[in-house]
Amino acid sequence: MAPPLLLLALLLCPGQPRAEPLSYPAVISPQDPTLLIGSSLVATCTVSPDFPLKAEDLYWTLNGRRLPAASYSTLGPSTLSVALARLNGSRQQSGDNLVCHSRDGGILAGSCLYVGLPPEKPVNITCWSKNMKDLTCKWAPGTEGETFLHTNYTLKYKRRWYGQDNTCQEYHTAGTYSCHIPKDLALFTPYEIWVEASNRLGVAVSDVVMLDILDVVTTDPPSDVHVSRVGDLEDQLSVRWSSPPALKDFLFQAKYQIQYRVEDSSEWKVVDDVGNQTSCRLAGLRPGTVYFVQVRCNPFSIYGSKKAGIWSDWSNPTAASTPRSERVAGGCDPKGGEQNTTLRRELKQFFGWVKKHAYGCSNLGIKLYDQWRVWLQKSHKTRNQVVN
Amino acid sequence: MELRAGDSWGIFTFLCAALCNLPALPALNCSEELGAGQSIQQTYDLTRYLEHQLRTLAGTYLNYLGPPFNEPDFNPPRLARAERVPSATVDLDLWRGLTDNARLAANYRAYSRLLCYLRVLDGQVGTAELRHRLAHFCASLQGLVLSIGGVMSSLGYPLPAGPAGPPAPSGAPPAPNDFLKKMDDFWLLKELQTWLWRSAKDFNRLKKKVPPAVVTLRLEARGF
Repeated sequence: MAPPLLLLALLLCPGQPRAEPLSYPAVISPQDPTLLIGSSLVATCTVSPDFPLKAEDLYWTLNGRRLPAASYSTLGPSTLSVALARLNGSRQQSGDNLVCHSRDGGILAGSCLYVGLPPEKPVNITCWSKNMKDLTCKWAPGTEGETFLHTNYTLKYKRRWYGQDNTCQEYHTAGTYSCHIPKDLALFTPYEIWVEASNRLGVAVSDVVMLDILDVVTTDPPSDVHVSRVGDLEDQLSVRWSSPPALKDFLFQAKYQIQYRVEDSSEWKVVDDVGNQTSCRLAGLRPGTVYFVQVRCNPFSIYGSKKAGIWSDWSNPTAASTPRSERVAGGCDPKGGEQNTTLRRELKQFFGWVKKHAYGCSNLGIKLYDQWRVWLQKSHKTRNQVVN
Repeated sequence: MELRAGDSWGIFTFLCAALCNLPALPALNCSEELGAGQSIQQTYDLTRYLEHQLRTLAGTYLNYLGPPFNEPDFNPPRLARAERVPSATVDLDLWRGLTDNARLAANYRAYSRLLCYLRVLDGQVGTAELRHRLAHFCASLQGLVLSIGGVMSSLGYPLPAGPAGPPAPSGAPPAPNDFLKKMDDFWLLKELQTWLWRSAKDFNRLKKKVPPAVVTLRLEARGF
């Protein structure tokens, strides 16, 4: 909208209200129908008696494109119909726009066509419970292609043998097709869970999944993961962690898994049989290399449940490096080494001159320089040990 | 195309902080004008920001409605329904002659109602992406309403008694079919665009009447 033009228009017609028609100019039938893909439709546009328009003054568009006059048919003095065959799926989920126009292009009436397919059974329902406090489920829509219509998914659950159906309320928590049940879940009792998909053309219900909350428990990753060297051993690192605190009050055996990789590689090595301990030694590593280590936990056998739980996420990567064997070539030994003889001689001469000509620098001497070298060597050694 | 609600909330809280930060100088009787001058500028900036945001929102929404709604020259008739969306277009002389109070009140009333209608839209719209964008825009628009209210208060004008809840059903019957509803949605967005364009002009006009520079000089003269 060009602002100056609008102001000009206001200037030219000050205070003139827009002429409003008293009723709708025309009526389309059917109004907002729902149709299966491939079906045909005959729609009619009937102009209201208040309007001086005849059937030959009308034309149709579908989604902005004019429909061929060959498909029109005059049913009355002010009624024009159009035949649509083998409809494709709706271009947008809000419905295809079928519009009846007057000769000058003005819109008289419109109808939204909803053309699509009924939904298919949702599949692959998987659920997990975080620390036995809640339940999150996700599923996949059955249709490989599209339904072209807006499809609503409802997750329902109930306790087996009794209780009424409950509906999950919090959707999209773990992706588009997911739902989260935050509370009022009972343990030691099987639940029936299913998903209903519905759109304008029908409803589809997934197969029922039966589970016990205790069988699908997952937890937080282990905390306080520490990786350290094993003395001077070049090919080993020791990993220690704490069991997840959220489940410490419940009777469970945890399984752990460790994965590690070299700093600049993307290939993870997995240590699988870690069992219920909270420490492990990695062996067969390369000396002088930085490794990234992660640990995860599976709280299986909660309250004697026989099934495996669900693995937690991996802990944040912890880095550590294996020691490199110290074959010192050209290492500095300030006590005996006469390597930098020229430098030492020059320094000695410099300090002698300083003592003669400068006041208050009597402590400055080659001995001080030697002490500095020793200090330098010691601090270099401690800085080399990488600890997290 | 990441929308962070923090952006609009950031602006909103910033505005609130700025509005509350009026200098407490009893000797200075133009302290309110100093606050109002800043607020008017901020309200102006907010309308420009919303104008920009609306362009993206309208584009997405009109694509959702489908052609011909998203065609650039689309201009459907406004059918005889109760005037539910307040119109921004006004007689030029009338607009020029508005008092500051009337000008601000018209803006306040319009955006309060537009916000209500937008919120109703939010409940009905199909895709999750659109709902997200609409929610973000509504938050920003709420900030604008509050900002205008702040300007009115700092200038000593009473706030117009706006619609507290959703518009009364008698004043705005729902569209009888889906196509007419699409037309209503189209006009809602159009009026929103026009209002934001008009508000920029309104606040520009108000800015000239309350220049902060004049007040600064007076501050220095009093030895602050």
